[in-house]
Amino acid sequence: MRVTSVVCPFCGALCDDIEIEVEGDVIKGVKRGCALSKSFFLSHAEDLSHPLVEGLEVELEEAVEEATRILARADYPLIYGLSCTTIEAQRKAMELADLLGANIDSTSSICHGPTGIAMQMVGVATCTLGEIKNRADLLVFWGCNPAESHPRHFSRYSALAKGLLTPRGRKDRTVVVVDVRPSASSHTADIFLQINPNGDFECLWVLRALLEGEKVDLEEVSGIAVEELRELSERMKGARFGVLLFGMGLTMTRGRHLNVLAALTLTRDLNQFSKFAAVPMRGHGNVSGIDALSAWQTGYPFGVNFSRGYPQYNPGEFTTVDILARKEVDAALIIASDPYANLPRRAAQRLEEIPTIVMDPKRSKTAQIARVVIPTAISGISAEGTAYRMDDVPLRLKRLISSPYPPDHEVLDEIIRRVKKCLGYQEERSMTLSMA
Amino acid sequence: MFRISGGEVYDPLHGINGEKRDIYVRDGKIVAPEDVDQKHLEVIDASGLVVMAGGVDIHSHIAGSKVNIGRKIRPEDHRRDPVPRSQVTRSGVGYTVGTTFVNAYRYARLGYTTIMEAAVPPLKARHTHEELMDTPLIDKGCLILMGNNNFILRHIGSGDYDKIRNFVSWLLHACKGYGIKAVNPGGIENWKWGKNVAGLDDLVMGYGVTPRQIITTLIRVNEELGLPHPLHLHCNNLGLPGNYQTTLETMKVAGQSRLHLTHLQFHSYGGESMRNLSSQAPVLAEYINEHENLSIDVGQIIFGEVTTMTADGPWQYTLYQLSHNKWANSDVEYETGAGIVPFLFKRDNPIHATQWAIGLELFLLIQDPWRVILTTDHPNAGPFFFYPQIIKLLMDKKYRDEMLASVHERASCTLLSQIDREYSLYEIAIITRAGPARRLGLRHKGHLGVGADADIAIYPKEVDAEWMFSNPRYVFKDGLLVVKDGQIVTDYMGRSLLVETAWEESIAEEIGKEFDRFYSISLENYPVELDYLPRYEVIPCR
Amino acid sequence: MDKVILRLKERSNIPVEAEAICPDLFLTKSQQEIEELALYYGNKGRRLGDFFQVQGERSDNIVIEGEIPNFKKIGQGMSRGNIHIQGDVGMHLGALMKGGRILVEGNVSDWLGAEMEGGSIRVKGNAGHLVGAAYRGSSRGMRGGEIIVEGDGGSEVGELMRRGLIVIGGRAGDFVGAFLIAGTIVVLGPVGLRPGAGMKRGTIVAFQEPDLLPTFHYNCLCQLSFLRIYLHHLREEDLNIPQEYLGGFYKRYNGDTLELGKGEILVWAGQVA
Repeated sequence: MRVTSVVCPFCGALCDDIEIEVEGDVIKGVKRGCALSKSFFLSHAEDLSHPLVEGLEVELEEAVEEATRILARADYPLIYGLSCTTIEAQRKAMELADLLGANIDSTSSICHGPTGIAMQMVGVATCTLGEIKNRADLLVFWGCNPAESHPRHFSRYSALAKGLLTPRGRKDRTVVVVDVRPSASSHTADIFLQINPNGDFECLWVLRALLEGEKVDLEEVSGIAVEELRELSERMKGARFGVLLFGMGLTMTRGRHLNVLAALTLTRDLNQFSKFAAVPMRGHGNVSGIDALSAWQTGYPFGVNFSRGYPQYNPGEFTTVDILARKEVDAALIIASDPYANLPRRAAQRLEEIPTIVMDPKRSKTAQIARVVIPTAISGISAEGTAYRMDDVPLRLKRLISSPYPPDHEVLDEIIRRVKKCLGYQEERSMTLSMA
Repeated sequence: MFRISGGEVYDPLHGINGEKRDIYVRDGKIVAPEDVDQKHLEVIDASGLVVMAGGVDIHSHIAGSKVNIGRKIRPEDHRRDPVPRSQVTRSGVGYTVGTTFVNAYRYARLGYTTIMEAAVPPLKARHTHEELMDTPLIDKGCLILMGNNNFILRHIGSGDYDKIRNFVSWLLHACKGYGIKAVNPGGIENWKWGKNVAGLDDLVMGYGVTPRQIITTLIRVNEELGLPHPLHLHCNNLGLPGNYQTTLETMKVAGQSRLHLTHLQFHSYGGESMRNLSSQAPVLAEYINEHENLSIDVGQIIFGEVTTMTADGPWQYTLYQLSHNKWANSDVEYETGAGIVPFLFKRDNPIHATQWAIGLELFLLIQDPWRVILTTDHPNAGPFFFYPQIIKLLMDKKYRDEMLASVHERASCTLLSQIDREYSLYEIAIITRAGPARRLGLRHKGHLGVGADADIAIYPKEVDAEWMFSNPRYVFKDGLLVVKDGQIVTDYMGRSLLVETAWEESIAEEIGKEFDRFYSISLENYPVELDYLPRYEVIPCR
Repeated sequence: MDKVILRLKERSNIPVEAEAICPDLFLTKSQQEIEELALYYGNKGRRLGDFFQVQGERSDNIVIEGEIPNFKKIGQGMSRGNIHIQGDVGMHLGALMKGGRILVEGNVSDWLGAEMEGGSIRVKGNAGHLVGAAYRGSSRGMRGGEIIVEGDGGSEVGELMRRGLIVIGGRAGDFVGAFLIAGTIVVLGPVGLRPGAGMKRGTIVAFQEPDLLPTFHYNCLCQLSFLRIYLHHLREEDLNIPQEYLGGFYKRYNGDTLELGKGEILVWAGQVA
């Protein structure tokens, strides 16, 4: 059977034109997907066979009950991950966090969290990816390498895409890459500016100054000749529609949110001269989804704490790396993520010291150290649901094959039901009028 | 099954003006006394209380991508208004850009039960519906942004009305929408070039059509489809001194056709610059008084913090330049855009005080209350939970004069001090429920007649109207008690309100071509499925 | 002097939100009432008496004995009285405070005196990030008062500060005085990257040559009487201010030219003009 217009949930570009060949419960072929997509769809093996509690195989019911016990008892529980699951699961995770008085955080806090903070300081001028395709005649990729991280970004949305005002695609555009080293992306650029590590802020700041016609007495900034920056600033001013696309080269290097602030104020200022937008290159398939859902349910995009019965937000105070490293967390529920492998050592270590619960179809590093492991279906392969593209365009992930495991949101729903019981919530009544 | 007994009932659709009536409810509907089993009837004693239909908000921004950008950029707004969870309710934050749950609770606690989300970009309609899934208690509908849709612009150019009508019909279906919204027609498309339109006859870049043509076309399509709600129009030149002329011209464009002009307060300005911005509300009110095809909602200013958010990107950029507050802009491919700027309306600011007075002038000078609707364009001119304050300003001339004396003296240049009119409870019931329900074509809402939804608000009868309307004793949604003495007592999911109109299949092919060329997603992934909505109701066309 | 002494019973890692430890509240409360004040231990509401032995009552002088790096929001919004903490303490100490005095013998965590309006804070050890800063999204940080940290400060000290004085005795991290609106920040040790980024007005004083952003321009060499008065004041506060700082010349840089450009960074240039 051939399924068309499949959304690939692997990266934040959510290409939605994939064709999948399915035979029974096996994916046989992937058309139009990039290498990352093909590998995602074809080697998705769910390699956990059974729920585990302390390494022993148990029934799902027992694993869920143990998870409930751990979470309901905790004083400072953490729910983390969430960027590779559906909005349906994220919605349930947020409800659970609210119920528990937990911390809830996504991988945003270790990728584009700083972008969130910068937006809170100065706002953001942005656009959907189709606007880039239709209108952009100048693309500046800063601290990112889409050729490898989002392989079809160029062809579907940006450098090569043909649209309304860009019928000739690449020929109608100038592509600039700014990065600390040459990359697969920089090789395709018209202009490559190699910047010194951790020099982004100064460089963006000088670009702002050049826009305003300020005198800049220097020969070079952060390894780039000021003349080159002057040229770039003129090019930006003269663009019909320019877009600054930025990645973790900006958000996770020295200066972090203030680097992003510099990029966002530069784009803001450019709107005096031309039309300009900034677009964060989000990594995980539905990391934008958890930001969005977290914002509409709590007001804050990541790093939310419900200890007091209402949402509080303060990056550094409630964000995952910080609360783990300070050993504040006393129980953790990890959903569709592998923090033990990805977080700094001193934070990851805490996950070994406390009861950790993992919901994941894979035998990840975190699953290996967890007290409770609950295998779940894979979002976009064996579980359907909604995901948000890096520009907040929502798309529907399909269920292509069946899975022996439940989807994340069903497990979470069951945990919520049991936690409510633990905490003495009344069973949900059938609604009747009661005037008592 | 229950009876609301002995209350003072205000049901303007049926001419009931404070008389004591009993209301019977069965299966979520208001029924005739003979349709209930009198023996097994619960009785709610409403003696000494005021009974009205649930409130209907015709224009509010509570869900979707632009609202959520507003939330994302305003932690300082949230921090001062945390809302804890309870056994029945979820936690969240309130104030100008509250969370979905908190907005729903607060609307219900005012006695409001139906809300129109006023600006939904089609490409992100799914997002809006997802937020509405987390907006319990109330019924809700989506007005779909079409005033700058490139498909429509293209075919206005080619003069193909049939194609546009088919497209609009399909788009409402794809977005699960309730009505057509147009914001600064043509201006947002030009904003994608960093420009705007300055009047009805400016050209839209790349398409060679004018705002006048867009408005005419959408009014015509709206009428031909027989949609329950007329075109919902945010005029060109919002916020600019002298814009009343554009507004007046726009009203004339409507001819005899139905047209709803939203947040008219922002479109009623005289003067040549911000320095001498003045009121032209009387001129517009006079025109509206003479033209029964027109209705408006006000967009009343509330002094204090707001978050301005509209699809009107160029205006929001202007507001950023005026205020230097943080600025967000979000352009949506082929369709529309949005801008968000936090703002502070100050009593002692001559412009803000004048804007405040203009809103009240509109309320008081437009004679037919059925065609003037209470809104604050939440959260643009003020948060919706200030509605009771506006009600008091309308009902109490003395309070109004005191407030006028406390704001910048420039507000006294308006006619406000000379207007003695005071709204009655009957008229309040019109501008907050019966009127908007009628204008939205919601025949089962806004009144208490047999067959209406049992959405009912029961208020204590108090001299202080602000207190009264802030503290309903009981609020029922579909016959369920959802609010009692200010507390949310039931968790309940309201319905999404939709329209369904027909289109010719051939349009799909046409749209498909546009998608491949100009969109970044596949046509197949664009429409929101009907079973995506937890509960819905299709509202019949005219 | 009457005082209320709080002796920590047991250390824990779980964060405790303790805005109830505030002189304004203690002033009218009996010992038992103080013990009943609500603190929030993780997601559980507890009594102050669960954590501390309380000695004394009805006083706005509070002494806290013990290491409490997990206790947050102590003295938040206080308007009077004293808090003397004899060990390390957690985040948001004295945030939003309006008056009174806080003394810490140990180190403090982030957001010390954030958005404070008045009063004074003295820290003998180090402070974390965002001393006297604005909370995320706010347009203004500290609006008045005085913060003296004898040790080091973290990043973004005085971010968006509007008025008042911050002194860092040791080194300060990156972005000291970023987006400064007005007020003064004195750093006696080395200054991190990008001091004064985006500052509109106000003064940052450094004694070791910082790397300045290209949007700051050398202006003149000067001797400023206000600075001498400030430094005298700090000496009276027992800070180690070398005599030559008082008499010396300062290089004045103005910026940030991307904003108003009316801010100044003063860098001590030694005795010789």
